[in-house]
Amino acid sequence: MSVLRPMDKLPDLNRATVLLVSTEDALLQQLADAMLREDCASELRVHLAKSLPLPSNVNRPRVDLIVFVINLHSKYSLQNVEESLQHVDSSFFLGKVCFLVTGAGRESHCSIHRNTVVKLAHTYRCSLLFCDLEVEGFRATMAQRLVRMLQICAGHVPGVSALNLPSLLRSSEGTLLEEL
Amino acid sequence: MMSTQRATKNSQVRTRISQGSNSFQTSLSSWEVKQKSSGSKLNSSMEDSKHPDDQPEDDLQRAVKYFEKGPMKTLRSKDKILEKHLKTVENVAWKNGLTPEAIDILLNVALSGKFGNAVNMRMLKYMIPATLISEDSVVKAVSWLCVGKCSGNTKVLFYRWLVAMFDFIDHKKQIGLLYGFFFASLQDDALCPYVCHLLYLLTKKENVKPFRVRKLLDLQTKIGMQPHLQALLSLYKFFAPTLISVSLPARRKIYFKKSENPWASALHAVRLRNQGPFPEPLKLALGPVNVRFLRRKCNSHSIIPVVNSGSYAKEGGEKKMNLSDCLGGSSSLPLEQLQSFPQLLQNIHCLELPSQMGSVLNNSILLHYVNCVRDESILLRFYYWLSQTLQEEYIWYKMKNCEEGKEFINFLDTVIRAECFLQEGFYSCEAFLYKSLPLWDGFSCRSQFLQLVAWIPFSSFSEVKPLLFDHLAPLFFTSTIYFKCSVLQSLKEMLQNWLLQLSVDTYMQPMTSSPLETTLGGSMNSVSNLIDYVGWMSTIAMRLESNSTFLLHFILDFYEKVCDIYVNYNLPLVVLLPPVIFHSALLSLDASILNQLCYIMHRYHNNLAAAKKKELLQKAKSEFNFSSKTCKEFNHYLTVMVGCLWTSKPFEKGDYFDPQVLEKTGMAEYKHSLNLVHHPSLLSYAASFLLQESPEERTISMSSIRGKKWNCYLDYLFSEGFQGLKLFRTSSIRCSSVSQS
Repeated sequence: MSVLRPMDKLPDLNRATVLLVSTEDALLQQLADAMLREDCASELRVHLAKSLPLPSNVNRPRVDLIVFVINLHSKYSLQNVEESLQHVDSSFFLGKVCFLVTGAGRESHCSIHRNTVVKLAHTYRCSLLFCDLEVEGFRATMAQRLVRMLQICAGHVPGVSALNLPSLLRSSEGTLLEEL
Repeated sequence: MMSTQRATKNSQVRTRISQGSNSFQTSLSSWEVKQKSSGSKLNSSMEDSKHPDDQPEDDLQRAVKYFEKGPMKTLRSKDKILEKHLKTVENVAWKNGLTPEAIDILLNVALSGKFGNAVNMRMLKYMIPATLISEDSVVKAVSWLCVGKCSGNTKVLFYRWLVAMFDFIDHKKQIGLLYGFFFASLQDDALCPYVCHLLYLLTKKENVKPFRVRKLLDLQTKIGMQPHLQALLSLYKFFAPTLISVSLPARRKIYFKKSENPWASALHAVRLRNQGPFPEPLKLALGPVNVRFLRRKCNSHSIIPVVNSGSYAKEGGEKKMNLSDCLGGSSSLPLEQLQSFPQLLQNIHCLELPSQMGSVLNNSILLHYVNCVRDESILLRFYYWLSQTLQEEYIWYKMKNCEEGKEFINFLDTVIRAECFLQEGFYSCEAFLYKSLPLWDGFSCRSQFLQLVAWIPFSSFSEVKPLLFDHLAPLFFTSTIYFKCSVLQSLKEMLQNWLLQLSVDTYMQPMTSSPLETTLGGSMNSVSNLIDYVGWMSTIAMRLESNSTFLLHFILDFYEKVCDIYVNYNLPLVVLLPPVIFHSALLSLDASILNQLCYIMHRYHNNLAAAKKKELLQKAKSEFNFSSKTCKEFNHYLTVMVGCLWTSKPFEKGDYFDPQVLEKTGMAEYKHSLNLVHHPSLLSYAASFLLQESPEERTISMSSIRGKKWNCYLDYLFSEGFQGLKLFRTSSIRCSSVSQS
């Protein structure tokens, strides 16, 4: 049972690798393209996977950031992510994992409540991002944000490390919007 | 109209035809079609009449006529025909909308129960107007409700339709007279929420009667405090506060749930069609306002309705005074005539605001009026309309269409301009912001959203933080430097608005009782928390952007506002710069940053001195956030700054560097390297000063600037625009005649 560990390989010079995990192949591909289009001082590598564990026979670089993409319209994507989380070493969760939720815009199609993913992110102490990946404009800005996060996780930003990220990016959950 | 027909016809056909369409124009061609197939059953005439040049309008007319006649009792193929006509109506309705006359007939048919329940419901769903709906049709339709021929579900759908189409009904006078009838329908549980909504739109001051209030309160005890009842009661309370003693929540909630509105997208299309290209936000000027007069046919339905006063008579466009108006003395000036500010002042006692509250947004004079009158019911209606428009009609993340996006941006710009004009934030905008921020991508409608952030009204920081900052901070930290700067600027404006609001409140009332229900100390705590939070954000941002001077400039702008709180706003608060910002500015490579820092330190000095003086004078410990710790910290900063820039003794006090470590680095003369001559940002000024004196020199020695030359150099710097440095020197440095080195 291969478990993904953050420090089991040496980093490559000026290279940053991100692993996108989701059942939504088309969206992942588009997101990866958007990220590679970004202007960035580091050399970017984007790996796509449907679920973890990854096949162990492939030689791959050290992963700096894992992004789990959950589609609120499909219960299966959440289930898949929950199962994949077991194959990630706990030291990854010190800022190198984040959850990306898509489909929150069309509330009528959502089969998973937003609070479920909020709770999931809170349990794992990870940051949670919302973005409707189908819309190109939103996808482009989210790609920009992910690239900046990746640079921090890969250690390319002096003075800021991945450990800072949870405290910077976590919003407090449980805000009752129904009161408004 | 009927008389144009030829006389050879089947009289039966003629009577049937003449029964129906008294207000309905038919073209001669379709008449001829009817005449031809006079002998046969009417349904097959529809099959035969397939003219090659059939137009959809003819189809519609035929369909309408079919419905008008009522169901044929005997025919087996009735369902197919029925379906075909329903489809025709549906297509025309969704494509172009139905004419007022068609709506008139179809509405009556739907509510009279001639056809089955399913057909009636479908017909109501297709009842989309092309331009407007005549009031008479609505009144006739309501009269059918009394007869009880339609089912409960149809009634519910009819009320929902009425609420959705409210803006399109041309007059509301007669509908207003039916208030009592609608009120009586409140008894029906299924209808209650929608009738409440309708009454909310219709209620005027004269409708609020004691027996109605009693009825509502009884209803409330029976079914509990539902939000729709709450809405109506709040409105009643503001019209007649003496009649209602029940306490209602002060915070204005959104009362009417966003139910699935089947007509929403079609209505939007209708509005777009009617108004043509969307209007750019108008400039709000005090001069004569170019108000468009309401004309019957060309009622443009922009998002922001045109000003329309209810009492304006339409005949010939002249105002007619009713006898009752004259006797009652309650003649109100029709709002279309309100053109200038002096006119507003003369008529301020007899103005009646339009039924569409949203129309005040484009009219600066009405905004003035809303500002002065301070009538809660007006604000309530306005906020309600604003909430509806923001939340139901424009869900920005659904907008993939560029045009819709632009329209929404224009609308937001208008709302923001109104906020600036009234110098206060609207609650509806605040709620909209809190709802949209978690899903915002930071890019669409960016400047509008950030301006809305700036207008968030003052409240306790612990309340605002989870709603605003916890969603804004992740965006801030992972965004580009330009977004960071924009956010800092809008936070600066937010701080300014809070400070203004607080200083006005403390001016109006003495220290203890504040309308914000917090003590002065509590308010100051909140502001201080905000400043600390922004300080935290700035510190991290500096690290993320590698000490960019562009970002530092915006951060220092924020602190320029903070340093003068005591003197400018008369509020007892002094909060210092965070150390990271101070030192980054002191060691920056940009001369203007250094200048700005000097100015800020000078202002801090003045504020602290004034605060201390006041405290000594008053000899009483007020609720002041002024501790000796602040003074100590400031003194430390001051020492460091003077040590670096003037006396060439940098970083001697405090935990900076061990001098031995510095010696080991081999830098012999490091002590001068941060003073006004050798500072990296000022080196070029020193060089040009020396060159100015002796332009032929090949080599210049910086260390020659000392003694008298130092003072000349300082004057040179002041002439180059270093005003901050000048002020800093006057407040913090006591010059002696000892030569500087």
